[in-house]
Amino acid sequence: MKSIKRCQHIITLFLSIFLVGMVVLVIKINREASFYMMNSDDHRLGMVYDRRGDVLFDGSGRGQYPDGYFTDVGNLIGDDKGQMDNTLVARNIDCLNNYSFSSGLVEKGGKAAIYTTLDHDANRAVYNAYMGAKGCACAYNYKTGELLVCTSLPSLDVTRGYADIDSMESGTLMSKVMYGTVPGSTQKVSTVISALEIMGRERLFSKTYSCTGSFVNAEGKNIDCHQSWGHGDQNIQQAIENSCNPFFAQLIQDSDMPLDRIKSQYEKLGYAINGEDMRYFDIDGIQCERASTTLTDTGDFITQWGCIGQGDTLVSPMQLMMWQSAIANSTGKMTMPYIISKVTDVDGKVKKEADTEYSKQLFTPSTASTVRQMLKTNGANNYGWQVPGYDIGIKSGTAQVKEGAEENALLVGFVDDESHPIAFCVVLENKYSTPVSAEQILTTMLNALYS
Amino acid sequence: MSNPLAYVFSCIFVLLAHGAMLFSVFYNGSYDDVNAVIVLMAAVIGLDAVYFIILPFFKQQTYAVDFMLILILNMGLIFQSCFGGVEFRFKHFITMIAALIACRIGYFACRDHRWIEDKRKFIWIGIGILMGVILLFTGSRSMWISLGESTSVQPSEFIKPLLVLACATSVTEQQKKHKLLCFNVVYENLILFGIVAGVCLFQWWCRDLGSIPTFGAIYVSGFLLRICYPKGKYSKKPIIIAVAALAVLAVIGIIVAPPYVRDRLFVDVWNDKNGHGYQQAQALIGIADGGWFGKRPGHGFLHNVFAYNSDIVFATISEEWGLLFSVMSVFVLLMIMAIPLVNPPRSYYHGSMCAGIAAAFSVQMALNIFGSCNMIPFTGVTLPFISMGGTSMVVSGLMAGMLVAAQSPAFKAPKKKKQEQKKPQPVPSQQMQPVPPQQPQLLPPRQDVPQQPPVSYTLTDRRK
Repeated sequence: MKSIKRCQHIITLFLSIFLVGMVVLVIKINREASFYMMNSDDHRLGMVYDRRGDVLFDGSGRGQYPDGYFTDVGNLIGDDKGQMDNTLVARNIDCLNNYSFSSGLVEKGGKAAIYTTLDHDANRAVYNAYMGAKGCACAYNYKTGELLVCTSLPSLDVTRGYADIDSMESGTLMSKVMYGTVPGSTQKVSTVISALEIMGRERLFSKTYSCTGSFVNAEGKNIDCHQSWGHGDQNIQQAIENSCNPFFAQLIQDSDMPLDRIKSQYEKLGYAINGEDMRYFDIDGIQCERASTTLTDTGDFITQWGCIGQGDTLVSPMQLMMWQSAIANSTGKMTMPYIISKVTDVDGKVKKEADTEYSKQLFTPSTASTVRQMLKTNGANNYGWQVPGYDIGIKSGTAQVKEGAEENALLVGFVDDESHPIAFCVVLENKYSTPVSAEQILTTMLNALYS
Repeated sequence: MSNPLAYVFSCIFVLLAHGAMLFSVFYNGSYDDVNAVIVLMAAVIGLDAVYFIILPFFKQQTYAVDFMLILILNMGLIFQSCFGGVEFRFKHFITMIAALIACRIGYFACRDHRWIEDKRKFIWIGIGILMGVILLFTGSRSMWISLGESTSVQPSEFIKPLLVLACATSVTEQQKKHKLLCFNVVYENLILFGIVAGVCLFQWWCRDLGSIPTFGAIYVSGFLLRICYPKGKYSKKPIIIAVAALAVLAVIGIIVAPPYVRDRLFVDVWNDKNGHGYQQAQALIGIADGGWFGKRPGHGFLHNVFAYNSDIVFATISEEWGLLFSVMSVFVLLMIMAIPLVNPPRSYYHGSMCAGIAAAFSVQMALNIFGSCNMIPFTGVTLPFISMGGTSMVVSGLMAGMLVAAQSPAFKAPKKKKQEQKKPQPVPSQQMQPVPPQQPQLLPPRQDVPQQPPVSYTLTDRRK
């Protein structure tokens, strides 16, 4: 009888393994069915809304909208046509699927939707403020991480399709906020942070360097100042306000700034150094390029030029803005931005809600407080009349691009206001050929966000 | 028949199940001409009726497997006749009849262990002949013999029941150890291992790699029963060695596999959903589209995908009838294999046979269902009793007949004269003695025929 039992055990073994497989299969199908359906030709998409319920993307295709209604966020929100890959809809299309395994595809009345943190009115205002110029601007709440503005020009109205794709300008199908750009002197914020971390506040503020309009570095190459007659002797606060290149070249070359410490701090900030593989960070599925630069020797031109924010250095406007949150909060930790505040399923049930998250420690809180004060002083001294009515900490930058043929204007900073804790970055391309300044765009943006 | 009422109620249950399905086809199915539904109804109900009338003439001890068999076969006919629109699939109906006949053949051939054990050398020869047939008649590295424009046979399928029988009939030879070089070996084990290795290598040669796991499972089942015979204990050492050997063989297999096999093993179906992953991607989309309750019979789109009625038939059923119904169908198949757990086999031979069949069916079902749903590599084997395919259907019927044989075995007493001439020798107590039915049965033993007396024959005296 025992032998017969053994036969039954073998049968039980095979059937049990199969049964376990069936259970796993049913669970897997139930969990992944929505994804499978998104790969079919037949699907029903829901809506994307802004923070006030304004439509940013209509998956049903039945709504009527004025011409250019979605242009301000066209290359950030995207669509389901597959022309743009790194967009909110493309990366989260499964969240918009008006389908559930129980009820199948819902033709009408499906409530699958993405509710974003964006302010459509503010985005539209910023888009219009560029007056046809190119560039990008972003702003977010540095306390909570809600992304409020993220517009990039040129852009497109996704409802008009891609019939004229061949005639679209370069950069139309991507949000420039997510891609690296030459940061210009906004990079000096990173260099100041590194110097503070390496030598401390007292020692850094005790150092003065002279600017005569040009500085010949250890390699024998010239680092020119934008003020050809020079700034004379300056300390770090004055140099930041003057955005003086020779000062920062001498600071990098200083024996108190060893290369390995600079590299270490830059890595903490998230830079890919000396041609490391390009890395990305993720904002609700959208990939954002990490910063990169070249640091070979503190006496080298390429290193000094990189720390000043020219040459090989590339930083995305998003990352420039995120560093501002670590400064504005005086914590040394970035508030991680998010676009999706909540996602509802086909029945309208909330299936995902955003939470505020922070990065690891990039620098010490004391460094953050010091830089915060430096930027605020710069804002008060130099931008009070250009961006009136706001208590801001700010750093400007001018980036030489296309072999120096064009210059882009950049502004990074934050508003010191508990009720409107906004960090921002504005990029205006080819600033000398535009009818508007970066400061005007910033003012328009803050006005829209405050209204 | 011991309990006619139970028989009648079982018939009614099967008829109701088929009736409900046909009712659903009539009201929800996609058809242009209602005659298509009427023909299907007539075929299903007619076959049920004829089967229920004929079945009692075989005077079996239980009919559980038979009821399950007709239930799943006619379910399969209804499924197949609804794919892409209701139309009676006559070819499938014919293969079902062939499966039912094969079931009877399997039953009569395997119910008497003494007879089949005496013939086991013919089983080995049969396997050899089949391999020869494949070698000579299937063409270059193929598994099919073409019998006309739309008909072909896959001879390697017939090796499965023969291998089950080869394992079951030689298990009692474990006591006969022989000195070979410096090892104590059992010749039958060497022969069986040689057969399995030969079959697997042959399958590899003719590129029927999908069947290798099934043959492997049958052998594993036989091997496990061999190593615990007759003590009823498992020995850990041989199991560990066997598992290690299997793992090594699997790794070697992957390394030396042809490129198209490796493509299938490691394909990302969603990145290659229009290439190598097309069938699986479409199958999963079809299941998702069907949901729990399906898109209704004949309203799916999977009938446009290659092998919709064989390799990805589980998905096609799920799309039209719903995942719930397709899983229930699979449970009917599981119940066929699980019947020996409720109504234990009467001898070690019959038990080994049931285990081998359970191994073969469960692995084949797993390869079909999990393969088409992208849980394991897609091999393209059939789902027993449901997939379209004559060879598969007949072989599945044959193996179902072997299960029926295990439920209603024949224990014939050896001739008295021989028993008197030979002096009985002591043998292990469990060898081939009919075990009295102590466990509950689905249907009670027959009372209308005299029960076999508890004879005291043994393997030893039979062979003398």
